[in-house]
Amino acid sequence: MNLRELYLKRRNQFWGEVVPYFGYVIQSGVAFVFLFLLIVFAAWYTSFIMNLPPDLPIRWIMLAVLAPLVINSSVRTYLRPADTVFLLPQEARMSRYFVQGWIRGVIYKIIGLMIALMILWPLYVRSDAAAKPLLLTIVVLAGLKLLASYGSWREQEMVSRSMAACFRCLRWGVVALALAAWLWQPAGRGLIFIALIGLTYAAAAAYPVRHLVPWERLIAVERRQASRVMQILSWFVNVPQLEQRVHARKWLSSWGKGVPWRKDAAYRYLLIKSLARSDMLGILMRVGVLGTFLVWISRDSLVGTVVYLASLMIVGLQLSSLRKMHRESFWLHVYPLPEGTRRLNEAYLLFRVQLLWALVMWLPMLASVAAAPGLTLGTAVAGFALVWMFRHAALRRDRREDEDED
Amino acid sequence: MSEQPVLSVQDLSGGYSINRPVLHDISFQVQPGELVGLIGLNGAGKSTTMKHILGLMHPQKGEIKVQGKRREEDTELYHSSLAFVPESPLLYDEMTVREHVEFAARSYGVSREDYEARAAHLSRLFRMEEKMDSLSIHLSKGMRQKVMIMCAFVARPGLYIIDEPFLGLDPLGIRSLLDFMLEVKAAGSSVLLSSHILSTIENYCDRFIVMNRGRVVAQGTLQQIGEQAGQPGKSLEELFNILIQGGNQA
Repeated sequence: MNLRELYLKRRNQFWGEVVPYFGYVIQSGVAFVFLFLLIVFAAWYTSFIMNLPPDLPIRWIMLAVLAPLVINSSVRTYLRPADTVFLLPQEARMSRYFVQGWIRGVIYKIIGLMIALMILWPLYVRSDAAAKPLLLTIVVLAGLKLLASYGSWREQEMVSRSMAACFRCLRWGVVALALAAWLWQPAGRGLIFIALIGLTYAAAAAYPVRHLVPWERLIAVERRQASRVMQILSWFVNVPQLEQRVHARKWLSSWGKGVPWRKDAAYRYLLIKSLARSDMLGILMRVGVLGTFLVWISRDSLVGTVVYLASLMIVGLQLSSLRKMHRESFWLHVYPLPEGTRRLNEAYLLFRVQLLWALVMWLPMLASVAAAPGLTLGTAVAGFALVWMFRHAALRRDRREDEDED
Repeated sequence: MSEQPVLSVQDLSGGYSINRPVLHDISFQVQPGELVGLIGLNGAGKSTTMKHILGLMHPQKGEIKVQGKRREEDTELYHSSLAFVPESPLLYDEMTVREHVEFAARSYGVSREDYEARAAHLSRLFRMEEKMDSLSIHLSKGMRQKVMIMCAFVARPGLYIIDEPFLGLDPLGIRSLLDFMLEVKAAGSSVLLSSHILSTIENYCDRFIVMNRGRVVAQGTLQQIGEQAGQPGKSLEELFNILIQGGNQA
């Protein structure tokens, strides 16, 4: 069996299914809104660079933006459940299969990292009196990315999950420290530190007991990654929903108990449980925290309003995936749910959740209510209007889909 | 019988493609309080028949009535009158066992008090008390099947459609399920049960429908099926072999 060819065949098959959707993404109005936001950001960023504040904590900003991009590593394996039977005899040769995904994963992520670096670079060289040379920074970042990818793959292979969790923390710590050393220390000293800490980490990662191929774990990770691609596409077009990762979140287990005990609200109960244990809620919380923070630091200007609305739009887009999560659910065809209640329950829940996020992210603006009451209240009105527009657009899309089905 | 059947399937033909029907002129009825076994080889059309009854597939010909109503006449009432246990458990990964049962109860309009009493009874009966707050992804195949059974039985409709329920169940689970089926039957509900374990269902079902290649080849009580096969007094397994092998040779 030619494992390299098998990998390429599966990869082409997956992207062959995904690429045709790109046309719809470009056609969709949301894509143009993104483009608009990008232009707004570019204009704001240019003017920001022209008028840099004197005490900009640029090293911290570089660390905060670049560290997650360097540390986060993933490899698409395109493995399938049946592989535990049919590819198992090839286990000893599977490195030939995985190396393809590993190289591609690292290359694409290094490209992404370099784009981020190029965006940050003008800010960095203008703000840091002792800025490091660009070429050397590229080499350091690429090297750290390779180290993080190696560590991440080793973690997947480890037999002990608690050991893997420790190494995950270690990966974050080591790479963040190395990056900080590069940003804060003189180049020579920084390079020596990075080399020493990198070698020590690589040696330590080789030590724990590992599976030759952690089949089930890789299959589960692959399923999540494929599902993430589909989830992003689902913001723009209707795509088949794949399995999502589930988080127990026991602290949220009572959410949904207050849903009225009626048939017409039963679907809302399911939606709440799905939201409470989905990846989506984690993303929403991160967007909420980041949005609130960014609104806080830019609350005195129109930038705050733009950041607020952009964050709220991301929340709305994320929430829209929830509408598609149970579209093909078997039990919703079998259970006697009253007609039309699915759409109403979706609209009810999504509107309220987005409104809650709108309120939370707007709270930092209150600190400027005395200085700029118009801006503060105008932002609130714009936020509410955006949430209402999401609801209105979703209901209109539902009606259109219902008419098409009829 | 003068009573209105709980389920009436009349001249049903259907399948996945118009040109290639899987079912051919199927007719049978299930009366109130009856436990009917639907038996046949793999691919005989049992699950396809069930999918038609559930409204997941549309008949190409013929009609299906539950409690005297076609699905098109009153979809909500039609689905309120039946509960389904699938062959392979279909669970929401993001819900616990208790939440599945609660969602089923809410969907069927079961009162909160009845739900609590029934859920407690079912969890005891199927020895799932310790697993009630576990997410479904952490359950074994047999436990997942038990959740499906609990969801169906918490609803207490007039008709249960049960497809191969014994797969993956432990012996005590099978016993609990059979006992509970008798309990709901005594309460007036009907069960249409598909299974390959003929020796077990022979002692529990009132009547049998034998399917082969999308057609009903015999139906009735064990006595009547024996007469139709020309071998009265034989066991269900022996009669099944006679009917199917005879049909396949022809």
